Amino acid sequence: MTGQPDLPDTQMESLRGAYVYETPVRLWHWINALSVVVLSITGYLIGVPLPTTTGDASEWYVMGWMRFFHYVSAYVFTIGLIVRVWWAAVGNRYARQMFYLPIWRRSWVSELLYQLRWMLFAERRSMLYLGHNPLANAMMFTLFLIPSVIVTITGFAMYAEASGHESWQYAAFAWFIDLWVNTQDLHTIHRLAMWVIVLFAIAHIYTAVREDIMSGQSMISTMVNGERLFKGRGVIKR
Amino acid sequence: MPTTTPNGFPLDASGRRIVVDPITRIEGHLRIEVNVDEQNVIRNAASVGALWRGIEVILKGRDPRDAWAFVQRICGVCTGVHALASVRAIENALSIRIPENANTVRNIMHLALTVHDHLVHFYHLHALDWVDVLSALQADPRATSELAQSLSPWPKSSPGYFRDLQARLKRFVESGQLGPFKNGYWGHPAYRLPAEANLMAVAHYLEALDFQKEIVKIHAIFGGKNPHPNWLVGGVPCTINLDGAGAIGAINMERLNVVSTIIDQTAQFIDQVYLPDLTAIASYYKDWLHGGGLSRKNLMSYGDLPYHANDDSAGNLLLPRGVILNGNLNDIQDVSLHDPEQVREHVTHAWYRYPDGVDSLHPFDGVTEPKFELGPQTVGDRTNIVAIDEGAKYSWIKTPRWRGHAMEVGPLARYVIGYAQGRPDFREPVDRLLRTLDVPLDALFSTLGRTAARGLEAQWAVHQMKRQYERLITTLKAGDRTMANTDHWEPKTWPAVARGAGFVEAPRGALGHWAVIEDGKIANYQCVVPTTWNAGPRDGKGNIGAYEAALLGTPLADPERPLEILRTIHSFDPCLACATHIVDTEGRELVSVKVS
Amino acid sequence: METFYEAMRRRGVSRRRFLKFCTMTAASLGLPPAMVPEVARALETKPRIPVLWLHGLECTCCSESFIRSAHPLATDVVLSMISLDYHNTLMAAAGHQAEEIIAEITTNHKGRYIVAVEGNPPLGDDGVYCIVGGKPFLHQLQEACRDAMAVIAWGTCASWGCVQAARPNPTQAVPVHEVIRDKPVIKVPGCPPIAEVMTGVLSYILTFGTLPELDRQGRPKMFYSQRVHDKCYRRAHFDAGQFVERWDDDGARMGYCLYKMGCRGPTTYNACSATEWNDGLSFPIKSGHGCLGCSEKDFWDRGPFYNRLTDIDQFGIEKNADEIGAVAAVAAGAAVAGHALVSAGQRLLQKRGSDDDNA
Repeated sequence: MTGQPDLPDTQMESLRGAYVYETPVRLWHWINALSVVVLSITGYLIGVPLPTTTGDASEWYVMGWMRFFHYVSAYVFTIGLIVRVWWAAVGNRYARQMFYLPIWRRSWVSELLYQLRWMLFAERRSMLYLGHNPLANAMMFTLFLIPSVIVTITGFAMYAEASGHESWQYAAFAWFIDLWVNTQDLHTIHRLAMWVIVLFAIAHIYTAVREDIMSGQSMISTMVNGERLFKGRGVIKR
Repeated sequence: MPTTTPNGFPLDASGRRIVVDPITRIEGHLRIEVNVDEQNVIRNAASVGALWRGIEVILKGRDPRDAWAFVQRICGVCTGVHALASVRAIENALSIRIPENANTVRNIMHLALTVHDHLVHFYHLHALDWVDVLSALQADPRATSELAQSLSPWPKSSPGYFRDLQARLKRFVESGQLGPFKNGYWGHPAYRLPAEANLMAVAHYLEALDFQKEIVKIHAIFGGKNPHPNWLVGGVPCTINLDGAGAIGAINMERLNVVSTIIDQTAQFIDQVYLPDLTAIASYYKDWLHGGGLSRKNLMSYGDLPYHANDDSAGNLLLPRGVILNGNLNDIQDVSLHDPEQVREHVTHAWYRYPDGVDSLHPFDGVTEPKFELGPQTVGDRTNIVAIDEGAKYSWIKTPRWRGHAMEVGPLARYVIGYAQGRPDFREPVDRLLRTLDVPLDALFSTLGRTAARGLEAQWAVHQMKRQYERLITTLKAGDRTMANTDHWEPKTWPAVARGAGFVEAPRGALGHWAVIEDGKIANYQCVVPTTWNAGPRDGKGNIGAYEAALLGTPLADPERPLEILRTIHSFDPCLACATHIVDTEGRELVSVKVS
Repeated sequence: METFYEAMRRRGVSRRRFLKFCTMTAASLGLPPAMVPEVARALETKPRIPVLWLHGLECTCCSESFIRSAHPLATDVVLSMISLDYHNTLMAAAGHQAEEIIAEITTNHKGRYIVAVEGNPPLGDDGVYCIVGGKPFLHQLQEACRDAMAVIAWGTCASWGCVQAARPNPTQAVPVHEVIRDKPVIKVPGCPPIAEVMTGVLSYILTFGTLPELDRQGRPKMFYSQRVHDKCYRRAHFDAGQFVERWDDDGARMGYCLYKMGCRGPTTYNACSATEWNDGLSFPIKSGHGCLGCSEKDFWDRGPFYNRLTDIDQFGIEKNADEIGAVAAVAAGAAVAGHALVSAGQRLLQKRGSDDDNA
């Protein structure tokens, strides 16, 4: 078992908590979560539709609604992502964290490894962070942000198919279609990216709950009221 | 130095070499080289398949239910025959039984293709070997009309019709832009038709070009499009809905009416145009009976058109099955695609390589690894072949053999076998034609015999198509509307390893597909197609194939314009994309040419 | 040289029928009636243009489709609209007499002829997988294209590579635009293309003396800018969620949507559902089988054809996105459960340990 990484040990026992996630971040988080749920379910059912309906076609609009809700939540998701990028620029330092990986920072890398060991039960205590711990940061960047961008681009490129070659979607995303030509590939990539986001959601929810219980810092309530609370003693990283 | 091949053909390559490349009016790329003696008689011949594409290797690892679509793209002329052989091979492997209706619909589609293929072959790929287009300008339209009316009740036969046509043809020729007729062997001494017959044939060339598109509409009804209609493992994709809600989305009365109307129109065209033309042309060439070649000795047919579904026994097949060896019409031998001793492929003279010590392989165990090399007697080099060395490897076509014997396949083989079996539907039309032309049975074994058998078969097929259509209606009347069996559609219902063979009598002859399925994927796939049988190079023992044998002994009236070579080769209806095999890429380095 | 109109008159076509033909040509090109006089004028004044139609690695389905054209009839195209001077499957000439035609046209009609390519050149092994006149097909193609005014890539072979270029592409077959880079290449994909699309593209060029407007992939917009799905007559069933679930089921008899049977209509740009095949008689979906996507690049490697989702070979195993995703999600769920169990156990131990410390 290794010890604590080589870090400036800042005992901040006096710090019981701090306001880290501003309202736009929290609001985005929950709206985004909802849109991901709707997008994943409707998206899955667009590719693998429900059992057939019967009777006159004019009485049903199952796939129509499926696609409608998918598109609406896709717009919510996309606009949310754009707003979130904007807030990363103007919000506090914690609003920026998920948009980059500070791999050039040796301390960040060693703390990432430390957190990994903690998750593998090789460390007795979690480190405490005001913002995202490095492992969470890495997951958000690779398993959420990147697939989100891919899912958005492929999504709008496919939207361009339905809206036609004269549409703004086509004007904006035809370059991406050119990379593949056969738009069947867009569907495949779109779906793979969705599954990565689903994987992220599973890991994200589990680790949030676990850390809330085991790491001595608040997680779930923090995304509700923005306050990070420290319950135990430990090294608090900024 | 003169030699005789083990299968009895004298060869002498000492004379002048004549090369025809490309052989046009065929599917794909074929090169023919012959040697002629001082009297310009062909004494040696080499048939060079000049392309391959790789479909069988590409199939490895694919879903067997998709295979029909891949192999269908082997050939767009005989479109459908490979797909049909493929679904049959897969169904054979997976023990899938298809519904009666599906069998009947497949028969109708196959017959439609057969009629179409034969018609287009006769008029657009073959006729110009017998018909001198420019000679038609000298014809007397009135005499042409009389000739036409003496042969057939076909309505387009008035003197005015032929006069107009001749005038149009005259202006076309005078325009200087001859289009597809440019640089033809016009005025060649081997053309024997009087001007009037030429004019009539040219008229029918154009009529047939306009009409042929009607026949394959049957494919569009059942398969959605032609060329390359859709097929389905387990049945056919189209459904029957005669009188229920939504019937406009299925095969209904209107769709069936399209089919029956086309069958009637086609029967009229074949009966009143194709067959009379064939008989008329043959009557002028009946003493030009060259080109028999291998057909006098060995003929083979797998048989086809199962009357009842799922019964491959010879008695259930409307097209005859069997092998004739050494010209013995009294002893028809049976053929099996599964017997490892029967169909085997050799590559001694083909641009492929077998593992050391392997002389030949049954298609289930087939290996296709390319080895392009030219023999020491070659004139030129690999990117500029002037004359091939047939003593070495010289073709992209493999050499299939039946129990070691070279075989000729095709309509002539089917007709001779059916005739020898005493089937009245084959015997009577042959006897009638022979009587009309006043030639003996032996005349069948010739270039003209091949062409005549094709015409008779087109007529047989169109009338058989009518019977199959009536049979479809009968089963529908009885209440059977099933078109597909999906019991074994899902791969989880399949055995871990399965192998199957499917056969079809394609327009050009016996076609077999062999598929090995492992864990739901294709592990090996081999096709042995009619043109492989007919156009293949020599085998290791020196036996020559049907193309090469057919050319021997034919005199060329003008070696600079070898019309007779085209005539005999065309009588086989070559399909080179079909014939050529595929490579295994394992352990092979590809050298790329630079593209500037 | 005589004009198209003269050629038609020569064929005994009356002025009246000629104008009717112009109306039909205009309609098949999607032009308003006001354009008919322009079509007529163009056909009256233009000479027949020489066309060299070359065959590489292919199956001749494009030529077969071409002669299926009902409007205009293939005979009209061949005898009156163009001068089809070289076409392996139709030409009377053979051997060196055939090859001489290419030299003659490229010399005497420099810049005033069209090369139509069916099939494609293989580049592997010096191109010996397709030999014409003793030489690799690539040489013939390059020679013929050198002074052409335009190159038409008939079908998916010439446009995208098609079946011989499917994995592992043993012959290294490549589409025409990869070897002919200095000429406009009009892609008319499809396996084969629809007959009337082929003759429509040709007659557009001849009528207007210009190439049709092409999309970003080089396909004529007039035929390839919308998906089969967009104009499919079964689209209402798709929107309603009414699908064929098994072959020959009640849904199939009702003409429901074939999406679940793997139909590629939603990702296929072609005119099938509007123009239809064989004189507008049917198209694959209308006859009960899904679209294979045959006008799309590499559609052979986007199978299996009967699954809506493509198998992804890059994963080494042939699984589609959903199968891979579902396996990963189940694995993640199992990992989470296991991890949670261990965490709970560890926490219990720690608690006991700290209780012991306190004791």
